[in-house]
Amino acid sequence: MDFLNLSFGELAALAGLASAVIIALYLMERSKRRQVVATLRFWSAGKTPEELQHKRRIHQPWSLLLQLLSVLLLLAAIAEPFIGGRKAARDHVLILDTSAWMGARTRQGTLLDQAKTAALAYLDAVPASDLVMLVRADALATPVTQFEANHTIVANAIRKSQPSTSALNLEQALEFAQRSQQLQQRTRGEIVFAGAGRVSREDAELIDPPANLRLLSVPSTGENVGIRKLALRRTAIPKEPNGEASWEVFAGLHNDGTMPREVSLELQFAGSPIGAKTRTLAAGADTQDTFVFHARTGGLVEARIRSTNGRADAFPQDDRAAIDVPIQKKLRVTVYSNEPDLLKPLLGNQEYLDTTFAVPANYKAQGESDIVILDRFSPTQAPAVPSIWIEPPAGSPFQVRGNKNNIKLERWRAESPLAAGLIAKDFTLASTEVFALTSGDQSVAETAGGPVIIARQVPVKMVAFGFDPLRSAMKYDLATPLLMANTLRWMTPDVFRRAETIAGTVGTVTVPIEKGADRASIRILDEKQRALPFTIDGEQLRFFSGAPGKVRVIVGERETTYALNLPDVGDVAWAASPRVARGVPRFTTSSSPPTVWPWLALLGAVGLFADWLLFGRKRMVRVKARAAASQPLSWRKAS
Amino acid sequence: MPTADVRANVLIDTPLLEKLERLAIHWQKSLPGLVGGHNTSHFSGAGQEFLDHRNFHHGDDLRSVNWRAYLRLDKLFMKMFQLEPRVPVRILVDISQSMTTGGTTGGPTKFDYARKLAGALAYIGLVRLDSICLQPFGERLGDPLTLSGGRHRVQPALNYLSALQPGGKTHFLQTARDFISRYPQRGLVVVISDFLDDADAEKPIQYLADFGHEIILIQVWAEEDREPPWEGEMDLEDAETGSRLQLAFDEESRAKYVEAFDRYAQHVRQVALRNGGRYAGLPTSLPVEDALFGELVKMGAIE
Repeated sequence: MDFLNLSFGELAALAGLASAVIIALYLMERSKRRQVVATLRFWSAGKTPEELQHKRRIHQPWSLLLQLLSVLLLLAAIAEPFIGGRKAARDHVLILDTSAWMGARTRQGTLLDQAKTAALAYLDAVPASDLVMLVRADALATPVTQFEANHTIVANAIRKSQPSTSALNLEQALEFAQRSQQLQQRTRGEIVFAGAGRVSREDAELIDPPANLRLLSVPSTGENVGIRKLALRRTAIPKEPNGEASWEVFAGLHNDGTMPREVSLELQFAGSPIGAKTRTLAAGADTQDTFVFHARTGGLVEARIRSTNGRADAFPQDDRAAIDVPIQKKLRVTVYSNEPDLLKPLLGNQEYLDTTFAVPANYKAQGESDIVILDRFSPTQAPAVPSIWIEPPAGSPFQVRGNKNNIKLERWRAESPLAAGLIAKDFTLASTEVFALTSGDQSVAETAGGPVIIARQVPVKMVAFGFDPLRSAMKYDLATPLLMANTLRWMTPDVFRRAETIAGTVGTVTVPIEKGADRASIRILDEKQRALPFTIDGEQLRFFSGAPGKVRVIVGERETTYALNLPDVGDVAWAASPRVARGVPRFTTSSSPPTVWPWLALLGAVGLFADWLLFGRKRMVRVKARAAASQPLSWRKAS
Repeated sequence: MPTADVRANVLIDTPLLEKLERLAIHWQKSLPGLVGGHNTSHFSGAGQEFLDHRNFHHGDDLRSVNWRAYLRLDKLFMKMFQLEPRVPVRILVDISQSMTTGGTTGGPTKFDYARKLAGALAYIGLVRLDSICLQPFGERLGDPLTLSGGRHRVQPALNYLSALQPGGKTHFLQTARDFISRYPQRGLVVVISDFLDDADAEKPIQYLADFGHEIILIQVWAEEDREPPWEGEMDLEDAETGSRLQLAFDEESRAKYVEAFDRYAQHVRQVALRNGGRYAGLPTSLPVEDALFGELVKMGAIE
């Protein structure tokens, strides 16, 4: 015998406690009562304790026994014992395939509708005493219920299930189900999989079905051609004279069906067509197409496919994909100089720059610029943004060791990113300041007298030039714009980062890492700028996103935005071995052990009623009699 | 000092006071002295007993002049009569410790009940211009409060009753002796008590009656005094003496107890009747108002 609500220990403890309480009450009722009375003169009618010694022990013992027995029966009823033991009950795990492919349409609704029907049929066939756990399986295995004896809860959870956007990871779901059954340490039931079982080709080979697996298969033969990839990248082609940038769009299609399909791929940007191609895809074949378009502003690039040979697509969710064309941000530079014409050839009319020239008298420490250039000018309050100081006068944040005339520029410090690609040297500087390096300063270019270009990172990035490159021998050398470009890139790397946008599928995303990329700079951020965990395996970076959305992957100066809004569908339907059981079973064992608790409760109630009839009623009669006797005495009027 | 709760318990509410104004204390005997306006006396009025003569002074009442002496002696002499006091209504309230029992069954204690009853009787008497004497007693007589002069004097009476503190034993015989020696004038004596003195109360009541007092005995008991609700083995303690008694109590014992109590109450009643008095037995479960308009009216103590 086993108990549903209480363990045997709990039942015994409760029974002991209830018995102790009843006996205590019984003894308290019969314990010696202390009472202060008005007089003792009428109490002589009472019996001495010695006379009633025997009564103390045997006073209504049957009442006590009857009460004890009744309470024990009621406790047993609460415990809901099962005759035959609980071992007859089993734990089943019902895995419902809720992957994206389950949203595919068939004549009978979606595949998920068919899977739900099969799962509910199985649930009806399961013995009432068996426990069932529902697990929704897509890229993750998510338990929806615990092992439930109340099958209605499981049925409701099945009905509420919806297809997700990720592919099925069946191996993981089966492993989860096995572990759940092991943790229960009770009689293991079946692991039931209801769904199409469409998984990736690699996963299909890894699946090792457990011995207690049962399949409620849903046919997965729908014809589908879908967009598997949509990527957007800026071309290396310079901007058009009208300011338009050139973009490349890559679209990849895949035919999941068993027959060749002819589809038309159409692309639009901001609602305007930018390209269309018609392709014929063999069964299981892939195709990729590239489109080029020009855009001056940001917008949405949308790709659609439609069947041209009249065949219906079973899975329309992957017939459309869209990605954003990023808006190129310009770097705002403010130059404070009394000789702006010298710097205009270097900073003015640049594609990525929005340069403003001003005289030092109009200096603002809290301006709206991204970078400030101070030409031979030292304000009382240093700029709050990164700044470039050319020949900083006294009062600047830099320590000038002295001035040197006619001194050669001898060395570029290769370890500094500002000197990247700079090899030109042996310039003779007519006049230059030589700096003294303080803590945090980094030398960029040096002469025999000391550093003449230094960089500082904290509190904000600052670069000091001891000489004006445009008034020195470097004026006509390529090193001058390169040095300025390096400086601006070092100060604001976000502006110069190469942007790429890819529409992909949720789940595990693999990103190739360029050789030489700074791996310490890798950051993966979701739409709320929260960092996502990732792994690096050789030249591959992997991260997982279980929900649709945008994820930014920043590797050095390259930023890739993944618009994970394409449903991920498996490549093949998993074919289980013939040994695996299939279909809704017919359970032959007696599923419902006789429930005895109503009878126990009835017996307990009858016992208490009998106690009241036999013993309690007499007490009630005595109480009523006393109440009646307490009416005032009616005496005749004295005369 | 009595607590506010005790005062609140003793105070009689205004609606009851208004009802009590319809009642009057009823006398059976004719006693010498002035009584309330509602009672008639077989004795003539005040000043009937000659005391002495004195010389007439200007302004004296000519009706008291001894004209015979004037005719004989040609001098005016005034006749002086002994002034007859009012016949008092003396309410003896038992304040012994035994009166504090009886609150365990939810009703008031006998002490509270007795004080309410005494307050109500005092008000009835004052309304009818009787002279009221509230006299607490236990082992001996306590300090009394004498009132007369109408209903407006009821508040001191209620305050006095509220301030009473129970305690001590009951000694009816000593109380009767003290009473007779303290109050030589005969009158109406209302005794409110549980009459649960270890000694018999018959002799003291007999003394009072023999002295010429008109006696009204009001026996107050709690439900548990008459029929103890307990059962099983009991360790009993006398509230007044502290003596203990251990016994086993059951239905059979209870029946015997009730029989003994009723027998005693009947005995007290017979003592009262035998001496021309009146008796009422009141359980504390009976509201004071019902007792006044029921039992006490029925027995003729008030009308």
